[in-house]
Amino acid sequence: MIVCVAVVGHQNNPLYIQSFTEADDALKLHHIVHCSLDVVDERVNNPKKSGPMLNETFLGMLYPIENYKVYGYLTNTKVKFILVTTDLDVKDADVRNFFRRFHSAYVDAVSNPFHVPGKKITSRTFAERVSTIVKSFGFSSAA
Amino acid sequence: MDPAMTPLGKMLLEEITPVVMVISTPAVEETCLKNGLSFLQMLTPFCSFNNIDVPVRTASDQPYRIHKFKLRLFYGSDVKKPNLKVAEQQLKQVITDSGEKVFSELCLDVPGFNHEVASSEDRDTPSWFQFFNKELVRVASFSDHEAFDHPVACLLAVSSKDEHPISRFVDLFNTNKLPSLLKDGSMDPKILKHYLLVHDNQDGPADRASKILTEMRNTFGTSDSLLLSVNSSPDVPIKHQDNPWASQIYNVPPNQDLGCFLNIDDINEIKDLMQDLSSKHIIPNMEQKIRLLNQQVSATRKGFKNQIKNLWWRKGKEDGVDSLNGPTYNFNSIESQIRVLGDYAFMLRDYELALSNYRLISTDYKIDKAWKRYAGVQEMMGLTYFMLDQSKKEAEYCMENAFNTYLKLGLLGQQNATRCGLWWIEMLKARDLYKEAATVYFRICGEDILHSAVMLEQASYCYLLSKPSMSRKYGFHLVLSGEQYKKCDQIKHAIRTYRSALSVFRGTTWSYINDHVHFHIGQWYAALDMYDVAVKHMMEILACSHQSKTTQELFLSDFLQVVEKTGRTFEVTKLQLPVINISSLKVIFEDHRTFGSSSVATNTKEALWRSLEEDMIPSFTAAKTNWLELQSKLISKKHTLSNVCVAGEAVKVNIEFINPLQITIPVSGVTLICEYSTSTDELTSDEKELSVKTNNEVDHFRDMSSYNSSFLVSEVDFSLGGGETTMVQLSVTPKEVGTLEILGVRWKLSGTIVGFHNFELSHPKKNIVNGRRKAKRPPNEKFKFMVIKSIPKIQGSVHSLPGKAYAGDLRKLMLELKNPSEFPVKNLKMKINHPRFLIIGNQENVKLEFPGCLTKTIGSVQTGANANPNLMSETIFSFPVDTSIQGETPLSWPLWFRAAVPGDISLYMSIYYEIEDISSVIRYRTLRLHYNVQVLPSLDVSFQISPSRLRIQDFLVQLDVVNKTSSESFQVYQLSSIGQHWEISLLQPPDTIFPSQTLMAGQAISCFFTLKNSRRLSTLENNISTMPVGSDVLLVPQCSQDLVYNSNNVPLVNFHHYERLQQKALHEDLGDLNTVDFVLISRPLNNSINPGLSDPPHVMSHHACHLSTASTGPISWLVDGPQTLHHDFSASFCEINLKMHLYNSSETTAFVHIDTIDLDSSGGHINSVNALPSATPDNQVGWHDVTPVNELKVSSNAIETQPGKALLLESVSPYIWSATSSTNIHLEPMSPAEVPLQICVFSPGTYDLSNYFLNWKLPSKGLGDSDETRQHSGKCQGYKYYLTVLQSP
Amino acid sequence: MVREVSESCVDSLMTEMVACYCNRFYANKPELAARRIEAIGYQVGQQLSERYTMERPRFGDHLEAIKFICKDFWSEVFKKQIDNLKTNHRGTFVLQDNKFPWLARMSVDPSADNVSSVEDYSAPTAESKAAQAMSMHLYFPCGIIRGALSNLGIPCAVSADISSLPACSFVVRIKA
Repeated sequence: MIVCVAVVGHQNNPLYIQSFTEADDALKLHHIVHCSLDVVDERVNNPKKSGPMLNETFLGMLYPIENYKVYGYLTNTKVKFILVTTDLDVKDADVRNFFRRFHSAYVDAVSNPFHVPGKKITSRTFAERVSTIVKSFGFSSAA
Repeated sequence: MDPAMTPLGKMLLEEITPVVMVISTPAVEETCLKNGLSFLQMLTPFCSFNNIDVPVRTASDQPYRIHKFKLRLFYGSDVKKPNLKVAEQQLKQVITDSGEKVFSELCLDVPGFNHEVASSEDRDTPSWFQFFNKELVRVASFSDHEAFDHPVACLLAVSSKDEHPISRFVDLFNTNKLPSLLKDGSMDPKILKHYLLVHDNQDGPADRASKILTEMRNTFGTSDSLLLSVNSSPDVPIKHQDNPWASQIYNVPPNQDLGCFLNIDDINEIKDLMQDLSSKHIIPNMEQKIRLLNQQVSATRKGFKNQIKNLWWRKGKEDGVDSLNGPTYNFNSIESQIRVLGDYAFMLRDYELALSNYRLISTDYKIDKAWKRYAGVQEMMGLTYFMLDQSKKEAEYCMENAFNTYLKLGLLGQQNATRCGLWWIEMLKARDLYKEAATVYFRICGEDILHSAVMLEQASYCYLLSKPSMSRKYGFHLVLSGEQYKKCDQIKHAIRTYRSALSVFRGTTWSYINDHVHFHIGQWYAALDMYDVAVKHMMEILACSHQSKTTQELFLSDFLQVVEKTGRTFEVTKLQLPVINISSLKVIFEDHRTFGSSSVATNTKEALWRSLEEDMIPSFTAAKTNWLELQSKLISKKHTLSNVCVAGEAVKVNIEFINPLQITIPVSGVTLICEYSTSTDELTSDEKELSVKTNNEVDHFRDMSSYNSSFLVSEVDFSLGGGETTMVQLSVTPKEVGTLEILGVRWKLSGTIVGFHNFELSHPKKNIVNGRRKAKRPPNEKFKFMVIKSIPKIQGSVHSLPGKAYAGDLRKLMLELKNPSEFPVKNLKMKINHPRFLIIGNQENVKLEFPGCLTKTIGSVQTGANANPNLMSETIFSFPVDTSIQGETPLSWPLWFRAAVPGDISLYMSIYYEIEDISSVIRYRTLRLHYNVQVLPSLDVSFQISPSRLRIQDFLVQLDVVNKTSSESFQVYQLSSIGQHWEISLLQPPDTIFPSQTLMAGQAISCFFTLKNSRRLSTLENNISTMPVGSDVLLVPQCSQDLVYNSNNVPLVNFHHYERLQQKALHEDLGDLNTVDFVLISRPLNNSINPGLSDPPHVMSHHACHLSTASTGPISWLVDGPQTLHHDFSASFCEINLKMHLYNSSETTAFVHIDTIDLDSSGGHINSVNALPSATPDNQVGWHDVTPVNELKVSSNAIETQPGKALLLESVSPYIWSATSSTNIHLEPMSPAEVPLQICVFSPGTYDLSNYFLNWKLPSKGLGDSDETRQHSGKCQGYKYYLTVLQSP
Repeated sequence: MVREVSESCVDSLMTEMVACYCNRFYANKPELAARRIEAIGYQVGQQLSERYTMERPRFGDHLEAIKFICKDFWSEVFKKQIDNLKTNHRGTFVLQDNKFPWLARMSVDPSADNVSSVEDYSAPTAESKAAQAMSMHLYFPCGIIRGALSNLGIPCAVSADISSLPACSFVVRIKA
């Protein structure tokens, strides 16, 4: 299941972090997301490592930590989406699909004239949309 | 680069070197103990040789030289696996000590903890890591599965004091005392031995020693027997600068200086001893052993045949394999010999040989499943590859392989795994693969928390050093290790790590992490009783609005606990709780303007007041020769520098406190911090200002907050609920003349911690209420006040002013002025912004009761009093000269209030007064009162006036009254017409209008009056506005107690005056002679639900002004004649005489011209002429001077004739106008006239005699005239007038 | 789902906005009006770029981004591509649109066919006034371009030139 999704702005400032666990592990998740930025930077700055998927928005799995897997997605506008999941075998297709939907949700959110660019996303509709996307994660292509 | 130069290389050259086992007698030890050293310690510094030159040959006779060499000395008793328990303790100790050490130096820069950054000083990893790692490696030493810890030689030391030294030598080295390694056969007990005789020169001359030596030589052989004589220095202890022992021995007793009895010769002697021990004996010995072993190995194992054999043989003893430790090999087994060969070669830097042997043996071990040995060999292979500096990949592969294998062994391989890991890490570091190194660190940290903590910390540094540096992971791992440290309460380490981590997260918006870090640092500092720092850190997270409620509570409670622990009330400048909304800051003070209430000061606009007062207060600039000269000088001088306030009068500050949290926080003791200086001179106080800025403001505030006699500060307590915001008003009251400055605000959070906010330090945009010098003044000046000695201040209030009133409500109010001080004030003036709503009465009015004073009975008295209303139109009302207020007796003055129009009305009144005594800076003051009144709609009154058809100069007035209220019901009491020449009278008796005399809510009535124009020419001269006579009509049935209100009385007349002024704007009036004003007086009935309005008796007056009667222009006319008549048409056609009454109501002579139009076709030509009369100027006499204006007008009027023409077509049976078809008359102003008319009727019927036009024209006053709007001429169709003619029988 | 807006709507909205800012809010200070309009464009550009760069790989260098603006972005916004892209290879690009839709329905009195740059507020002769009034309509697209690029991590300054109507060219100077 997806443990946490996050949007991080182009100045590496958290725009939206939402954990989907009952446990009170917000802090840990914050740390995980925060560290994942390092990996993102690394991937982007020396593309030789990222190899074929050069300049693709989807960065694939960034790094495993404890029993989590962290996936990353970097938009053209240097906004990062981070996905933390506990699933052992995650289909890349699923993750890609997830990020695609998530991205569109994000775009709609920031197109809201009341959203201040660079500030936290507080839109409730966005949160709802995200939670539905998260819920449907995996089923989309599994079905 | 040379691998030997890398840290790893150095480490290996240190660690993997030949071991010399030392066995000594107690006597030897005590000899050395004189120097505070053990025998071993005494020798150790001289065991590493950096500049020797020993020729060596490889197994294949390749000569090479060894320049650097090192021996490791161990007591025989120590040559064994270290005890884990002890080792643990040792390591723990190391950590704790280093923790203390590092922390102590960390604490020095505690205050500046928020200045440090993730810069170089973070980057160099703490030095104690190396030491710790070394210790860690040492734990794994003397394992039987590897040979480089096996002693290559044994040094037997006997003192010359011992008796039978030879025998001592012998039994020093007998098997039962030997370490287990040698006994259990895992290594070769036949090792090189050296026999050292130690002689203490303090015991006397060395002759005995030399005797023994010769004896030794005989027994053990010359080469292996040595003599060392020490302590040869005289009894006076000597101090060695750069003491060779200091470096290696840690816990040195301070008074003890090491090696005090060893003089330079002794030291040299030791040096030489060790040197030729190594170079002459050990190295050659090893070299020789290498050859030997090499031959054996190649004999048994080299060559194809041996390989096969070996393989087959191993297969054979497959079954014999026991535990995972694999079979046990004793020293003469070929395997361990190969290993020994490898290790020896390694130690003699013959890495190729070493490598080949390791390769050889590793496969064997692998097949034998002797995993530990296999791992060990792999490890060595890795290291050898590294030292050879070839095929990095191989090296790393080997290390990893070894590491994993060790790990597989579990507890058995634990230490080795750690050691292997550390070496591996070093290897990676040497190749700048810091990230990988970090991961290895991560893998090392086993279940032992403390170790893992250290490893994690080292890992974090690796992340920092990796390219590109991964600061976030650095932070994360620091936090992790910090937690681990905390678990095994190494708090100081924990704090250290967290604080380093802080440098990563500070300034970012990752508030969760930031809070967590700060919070724990705070807690831990508190645990170390370093509360000040703890508080500092905790304060960072107080205003954590993003956190959950519970977290906020936790933070706050812990914070408060910490603060309590400090014992004193903690005082801090930047306390974030509650948040102060500095932009909400407002300073209210009263210099020469005083306010009825503070709300007045805050909520009203200065500009508005100024405009209201401008012609009341003497302006500085305009002041020429009067006493104001002085004042203007005084004030302008001081004012430019600071505000003026009066001693004994409070200066108020409104400021907003915001609670960002979801939990309620109690705030108490909110006071202003003020500074008072007796000097009114600005310069000195400015200097003081500067000094304030410089010194630490907390202290400054502390003494400021201490009680000060020269001013008084108010104190406010409140508690802020979650997310609440409250506006607090603080006040400071100066008591003495001087300079008062408001520096800031202090408050107490939940009774324990005191917060300060300095107004100056943060430069907010303050909106000082009196905006006079807002722009000019630098911010700090806004809080500086020149206190002048106390002067009278009038307090005033208006009594019985309703908050709500219905439109038209008329009341008498009392303005009460008090002057508490003993000084009298004089020359009172007053001004009100809405004379339409509020009128200042007269002294006389005080007595009269209301609304009785309005009634006619006493009406005649006041008519004089109200003089002429336009006196008080816009100008100032000045109280009588003799009025001076002083002491208790208040001055009360009547005001008349009338709710003129519905809406929210705000009434501003400003009262000006002068102070008697000349000396004070302020000579006059103004009292500003402000009230809001909500006026509700009550009666909606509208009038409609139409000229009556019956009599000329009579008008029909329709009055429509609608009760707009929801609940109230009114009694429409009386209607008065104002204006000098109007008489109004009822058309039908009142009770028919109002059967029930009330007008219910929402009810509408309309009633009719006749309005008679009673003006005569005589009344023409006197002005309208002077003495408006009027006529009143009671709308209620006449009864005795009902009084008639006199609309000429104060205040009705005044209000009416203002109504006129007001409504003039609306109606542009034509011919104001013909306009009429009405006043409708009504009374609310007392069944009111609204208590605010129920107090009886009220009078409400509705004024309607400038109602125009002249609907038809100045000329009014009436056709008079019979309505029906009988005529015998058989006899003749009928002639009927009619009269037209004309009246000219304008004040100029009017030309009137009447055209009659016949209806039959024969009269067509007249029509054509008269349709557009102006088109044919030669038509009639009166139409010569037709101005373009008129022409336009006429032609426009001609359109009005359309109905007339229409009427022709569907007209009834024709009649003709006999007599003159058109008449001209000059109508004198204000005069009637009569025009005879005649028609002829040819058949019975009913005729409409409206077929005539009446052209009227006033002499135009030329184009540029003021009242261009006014009509100069017109053309009107005649009124309908029906005449019925019957055939007479 | 792709939502579409009537072109004419946008056109009139656009002109109305410009009119509002130039003649009502900041009647006598055109610089301020210009800045405001540009700012609006900037935000619009940011949001649009956010949307139109979905589903496409990140740009390797500036040129790619500019090309994106010329091709996809432009055709998304104006249903046509930039007709001509020039660059000195030192961070200045000139995007020329031979028939810029938002100028397509405008005309200046023939006397004012001289090239008037957006920046210059030269002597207010009749034609230069007219040109300036028209150039006001170019701040919005300039803002859009700047917003889009800066959101793509390319801080730049954008100005517009009206050559002969309805052609116009946008000059992008990338801040080093």
